[in-house]
Amino acid sequence: MDTMPLIQIENLKKYYLVNNGIKDIFSKEKKYVKAIDDISLIIKKGEILGLAGESGSGKTTTGEILVRLQEPSDGNIIFDGHVFKANSKIEEKKFRKEVQMIFQDPYETLNPRFNIFDTIAEPLKIHGVKNRQDIYDRVIKALEIAELKPAEHYITRYPHELSGGQRQRVAIARGIVLEPKFLVADEPVSMLDVSIRADILNLLKNLRKKMGLTMLYVSHDLSTIKYLCDRIAIMYLGKIVEIGNVKDVIDNPQHPYTKVLLSSVPVADPDYKRQSIIIEDEVPDQIHLPEGCRFGPRCPYSTEDCKNFDHTLFERRTDQWSACIYNEEELRK
Amino acid sequence: MLLLEVKNLDIDYKTQEGTLKAISDVSFTLRQGESVGFVGESGCGKTTLAKSIMKLLPKNGSISKGEIIFKGEDLVKKSKEEIRRIRHLKIAMVSQSAMNSLNPVYTVGDQIIEGILAHTNMSKKEAAKRAEEVFSIIGLEGKRLKSYPHQMSGGMKQRAIIAMALSLNPDLIIADEPTTALDVVVQDRILREILSIQKQMNSSMIFITHDISVVSEICDTIIVMYGGKIMEKASTKIFFKKPLHPYSLGLKNAFPSILDIGEELISIPGTPPNLMKNLSGCRFVERCPFRTTLCQSEMPVLREAGEDHLVACHYIDKHEAFTEAAELRETWEAVRSRIIQEKEEGA
Repeated sequence: MDTMPLIQIENLKKYYLVNNGIKDIFSKEKKYVKAIDDISLIIKKGEILGLAGESGSGKTTTGEILVRLQEPSDGNIIFDGHVFKANSKIEEKKFRKEVQMIFQDPYETLNPRFNIFDTIAEPLKIHGVKNRQDIYDRVIKALEIAELKPAEHYITRYPHELSGGQRQRVAIARGIVLEPKFLVADEPVSMLDVSIRADILNLLKNLRKKMGLTMLYVSHDLSTIKYLCDRIAIMYLGKIVEIGNVKDVIDNPQHPYTKVLLSSVPVADPDYKRQSIIIEDEVPDQIHLPEGCRFGPRCPYSTEDCKNFDHTLFERRTDQWSACIYNEEELRK
Repeated sequence: MLLLEVKNLDIDYKTQEGTLKAISDVSFTLRQGESVGFVGESGCGKTTLAKSIMKLLPKNGSISKGEIIFKGEDLVKKSKEEIRRIRHLKIAMVSQSAMNSLNPVYTVGDQIIEGILAHTNMSKKEAAKRAEEVFSIIGLEGKRLKSYPHQMSGGMKQRAIIAMALSLNPDLIIADEPTTALDVVVQDRILREILSIQKQMNSSMIFITHDISVVSEICDTIIVMYGGKIMEKASTKIFFKKPLHPYSLGLKNAFPSILDIGEELISIPGTPPNLMKNLSGCRFVERCPFRTTLCQSEMPVLREAGEDHLVACHYIDKHEAFTEAAELRETWEAVRSRIIQEKEEGA
């Protein structure tokens, strides 16, 4: 695997202005929700990076900024050697060709009045493919890669005639028909039944193999991340708290939040005695964030020193970085 | 003691395209204090079953056959007024989006008290005291009773709903995906709380979910449903060691676990059956790798396959060979090719 970065995110920020009514409009002090607050990370060519965290951690916003569905407030994104600064005009069409996204709800991402052929052909037409035979061939090929076989059987169908899993495959076929370099998949299996989830996960794995795709897989489900991804980044209230190889992080978490998260995942084995780490389950208000470490108020290990912490990532084990002032030994005490 | 006995239940939905048989010939029992988890994919009938016990089926749905015997009385025959008295007082339900059903213009406390007053002779003061009690059981501060729904997080609202369901010590709690919309840390705590309360009060529980790991952790018994029928019923301890039905074997392959060490996930090819059609054979026949002509013509009945273990498959005696074969990808890929071939022939 090529280890050159495809995407470098530098000091990315996304703040939303809070406007709760007349009082806020006239108030001098502006309030912000800091959905993403100064994160930096690298996505290597050909890897699948998992992005995990609770709702409100900023994982979906990060994915949406990477495909430019949202503009960042600050920071740089370097995509395949090109620098995209916040608020700078981008060559949108060219960029969109290389970066695609798959969404959570396969029932809402497809236009009900487009048949499957038109759904998948649309991106080709937008990007200037005119030859009819060429369009047809590429649609069929995309459907076959998405394992909707026989492809001819599906092209005249409409979304309502398909099951959830089949729709998600259509969404994937549409995502790959332009042969992008980078794919963001935001919870692509969470709406699907367990019996077919594995198919979609295996399909995403195969896409990497067949097309050399680089992927960001956004999910709250650590088991599917463990199955699919090479590396994992855990987010908490707009910050990355831990990042590393998926096996290292899941088998040997370094950050207290990662430890809590992993200890909360139910396990389908009645003999396995899971020891949950119990913490306060209310996430702090996103406008009035705690001082220092954002996880501090809920952290079972927190001390006074945590209030001055600036979320630096420390390399605690090889290639495994944790944003906690304490290392494993210190936490054990 | 048996608290609930469902016998040969059939439930139909009338739709414009015809009658949909959502539940056919479902029977099971529930002991006092037992918790049973219903699992299965969307459309398998698990939610319909739960709603039918509460008699909360939508207008186009009806129980066409069977009995639901709760504490010796058949709920199917009860009038609306009689059912209303049983609901909440003896059987309480928590649904997935229950937290959105709180009234935004009343405090959460008022809504809980209202429920208690509607079903008991308690004074308002006693009801308020009871509301505070259940709040502390579920891990919410008493002052939260004065909060309006918008002042609470999703986890808190779901807790308040659970507190409401528990406020009258029901004999039976029906929980339909009660934590699906919540984050894993919150889910874990709420499940723990539900479990400890259920044990403390010795209530019975019907727990509906698509997540078999949750059932493994909190239920005594698991019932696997498919296409409106029960495919397998077993104690969770036995089931997770030795599932027998081919569908259960497939589910086990498809389910990722945080403890996995690189095993390949294999899904079950195909889609659930169309319940509008008149199905005579086994409901799982289209997706089953081990089917025979018998399976296509005759629905197997649920029968004993060991202690505390019922399975609806014609070939229980072959389960060892099935278990071995089900672990192989080829077994299921053959089903996929078969389905594609059938489609091509049909087209």
